[in-house]
Amino acid sequence: MDHTTRISRRALCGGMAAAGLLAGFTPGLPLSRAVAQSYPQRNFRVIIPTGQGGGAERLARAFDDAWSKLLNQQFEYTFHPGAAGQIGYELFVKQREADGYNLLFGNMGPEMIMYAVQKPDYRFPEDFVYFSRTDIDDSCIFVRTDSPYKDLKSVVEAAKKNPVNVAVSRIPHPASIGMLALGEATGSTYNLIPYGGGNPTYVAVMNGEADIGALPITGVLSLSSQFRVLGVFNRENIFADITGNAPTVNAAFGTSIPDLYSSRAWAVHAAWADANPEDFALLERTSQEAHASEAFRDAFVKTGAPVESLKYGNRQVCTEYAMAMLDLAKRYEPVLSAQR
Amino acid sequence: MGWDSALLLSLAVDAVMLTWVVVPAVLLGILVGAIPGFSAQNTLIILLPLTLAMDINTALAFMVSLYCATHLGGGIPAILVNMPGTGGAAATTLDGYQMTLKGRAQQALVLCFVASTVGGLVTSIATVALLPFLAQVGMYLRSVEMVAVMVFGLVLIAAIAADDPLKGIIAGFFGLMIGAIGTDHIYGTPRAAFGFLELYDGVPLVPALIGLFAISEAFSMMERSTIVPRSAVVDSRAHWADTIEGLRLSLKYWWLTIWTSFVGLLIGVVPGAGASIASFVAYQQARMFSKTPDEFGKGFAPGVVAPESANNGVTSGTLVPLMAIGVPGGSTAAVMMVVLQYHGIVLGPRLFIESPDIAYGIFFSMTLSYIVMLFTILPLARYMSQVVLIPTRILVPLILSLTIVGAFANREYVFDMGLALVFGVIGYIARKTNYHVTAILIGIILGPLFEQYLLRSLRIGQGDLTILFSSTTGNVLWAFVVLSVLLPWLRSRQQERQRRIERETPSALTGDQPR
Repeated sequence: MDHTTRISRRALCGGMAAAGLLAGFTPGLPLSRAVAQSYPQRNFRVIIPTGQGGGAERLARAFDDAWSKLLNQQFEYTFHPGAAGQIGYELFVKQREADGYNLLFGNMGPEMIMYAVQKPDYRFPEDFVYFSRTDIDDSCIFVRTDSPYKDLKSVVEAAKKNPVNVAVSRIPHPASIGMLALGEATGSTYNLIPYGGGNPTYVAVMNGEADIGALPITGVLSLSSQFRVLGVFNRENIFADITGNAPTVNAAFGTSIPDLYSSRAWAVHAAWADANPEDFALLERTSQEAHASEAFRDAFVKTGAPVESLKYGNRQVCTEYAMAMLDLAKRYEPVLSAQR
Repeated sequence: MGWDSALLLSLAVDAVMLTWVVVPAVLLGILVGAIPGFSAQNTLIILLPLTLAMDINTALAFMVSLYCATHLGGGIPAILVNMPGTGGAAATTLDGYQMTLKGRAQQALVLCFVASTVGGLVTSIATVALLPFLAQVGMYLRSVEMVAVMVFGLVLIAAIAADDPLKGIIAGFFGLMIGAIGTDHIYGTPRAAFGFLELYDGVPLVPALIGLFAISEAFSMMERSTIVPRSAVVDSRAHWADTIEGLRLSLKYWWLTIWTSFVGLLIGVVPGAGASIASFVAYQQARMFSKTPDEFGKGFAPGVVAPESANNGVTSGTLVPLMAIGVPGGSTAAVMMVVLQYHGIVLGPRLFIESPDIAYGIFFSMTLSYIVMLFTILPLARYMSQVVLIPTRILVPLILSLTIVGAFANREYVFDMGLALVFGVIGYIARKTNYHVTAILIGIILGPLFEQYLLRSLRIGQGDLTILFSSTTGNVLWAFVVLSVLLPWLRSRQQERQRRIERETPSALTGDQPR
């Protein structure tokens, strides 16, 4: 006697249709996705290649407030600072499985410069792809509120006579390139002092150890009672109203320094993205939706950062930006590395 | 300031109402601190989703209590089994474990608990009163001054090496060489990492600490049946008299507790500095001002009091820059910053105007947690001290398994487990050949920080070494550094001369007697 339960083809088809229909009516889940709900089925593991409590973590957590609801999965973070982000990237590329559950939330500007200067043992964009840019964080020159430097011109005049000490997060950083480019264009000299992160850089400017600071602007604005922004390295100062109409460096000196903003983005292994186009498309689409959501913006505003910096960018935008940073880093490579 | 007596009272009441969350946090913190490798930071990261779900006052009370308790917990294995639970307790092993070997484990534990809680309590209360002034400390201790502070800590190598200067200095330099591994501080270029990604950020402290102290000690334990010598087993049995003696000693050294906790507070205020530096500097300072510096390292009570009160003084200090300027003073404060920002709390000077209940509430929670800690832990000293009577055949496997997990837990690298074993072998060889593992550890901890501040200072001075002597505060600190080397040496010479006179006096008298 055959004990195997037999199901007729009609019953099987009917059952599958019913299940599909039921899933399709699940509130908040699009029909097409509900039917093909095979990814994601577990939590995402995110590497942040900077330290705990910094701008990247604040932004990532605000973003996943909205994104986790769209993906029905949570995000777990590990922080791997050090070697200007190299540790986090090497770990992500070499030791994390390319399965679509391992993500990286990086700061494309400084980390692409690091990639160009350090020449690590992984390849961009062959090994990983940035696919969802969250923000544009203009590099700015700032001083403490009681600084004798009242504007950009006074800084440059002083730097023509003697080198001016500039606190920066890292030597390989867009803001550092900005200072080097400013020096090159105006004949002034800047002594870059790396503090290894935004927080210690703020303290160095606050306590007068460095004359001025050069960092991404959003962190500076969140400490607006302590600092005054003198100028930004962009074609346009999108924070004009909260920086007392600080000019752009190019407008102040008639230079043509390229836009030097930091830009954080989500990245995933390229091999997985290429092999699983539908799942990757889901990540792209939902991240864009999350970026546009009120939940993300509200959570971001809570951190004290200005909402104007939130600018979505897709894979193409991210790749173009990253490649442009590589070119820029190669131009300044001798002074950004220990090759002098 | 934006608060008055009514607010003060309401903050005190609020803090008491949060006892339900403070008690479990304290117990968890003590446990986490006592297991080498586990820290307040990684525990809080794991529990972050839970704290984000709590209301802000409850979350802060929980985090602060856990953080403070880990500093106390770290001293327990340092005293009992010569294995500091945290870097801040490494200096405690110098005298704490020596007390245990003499059958005075319970006294040492009581000294540790009282110094920790009183140190933490005094500094948390002082912080509320002195916050505007403390916020300025970070403005005066810049890179140049921090070079001098680091030298304070490094001088301790010389103090440890007093018995055998050559071996002490070799151990210190070995530690400094290990500390130099990792990417350079200016350009981020890997240096002496031998291609190991896990070493790019320098030799991680936790596996080094676990290996040098815990694993090497476990190897040494295998050679004997109990931790304490047989002669000290009877002394090690639980007696309330030991608790009372510990309390008496704590009272005797009350002044040391107070001022070393303030050393911790001041060092904690400087972003980037922390409990390890504070405890080494406090130990060194206690030795410098002691009338009997030679007693240090031989089971001397002040050798337990100074580092323990200092590493708990750090807890309040590290929150000052977070509250006052919106910049976290340490890694645990950075986690707290995430929670505060998640709840939309604006950090910095505006915090004291807009949310004084949050700004000062943290220190009230801290005060409460130290009170809870003292009453919870003090009676337990009697029972904890009995750990030394457990046969090593049971203790060693337990220690090895816990520490290996601890080595992994911090960064979740299997590599770190291997690294801990390598340091275990180094530590074992060092012990067998009478090289001091603490001297190696000081080099590993302080070396990179010293290099970082020194390079930064030189860059600011554009290569001019005189920059190191360009500030008044820095020069005062340098004068103290010189004193801290000279004073114990002069005292020691004076005592030696005194002893010689005493030895020679009777015969001289006999010889001078008129016939």
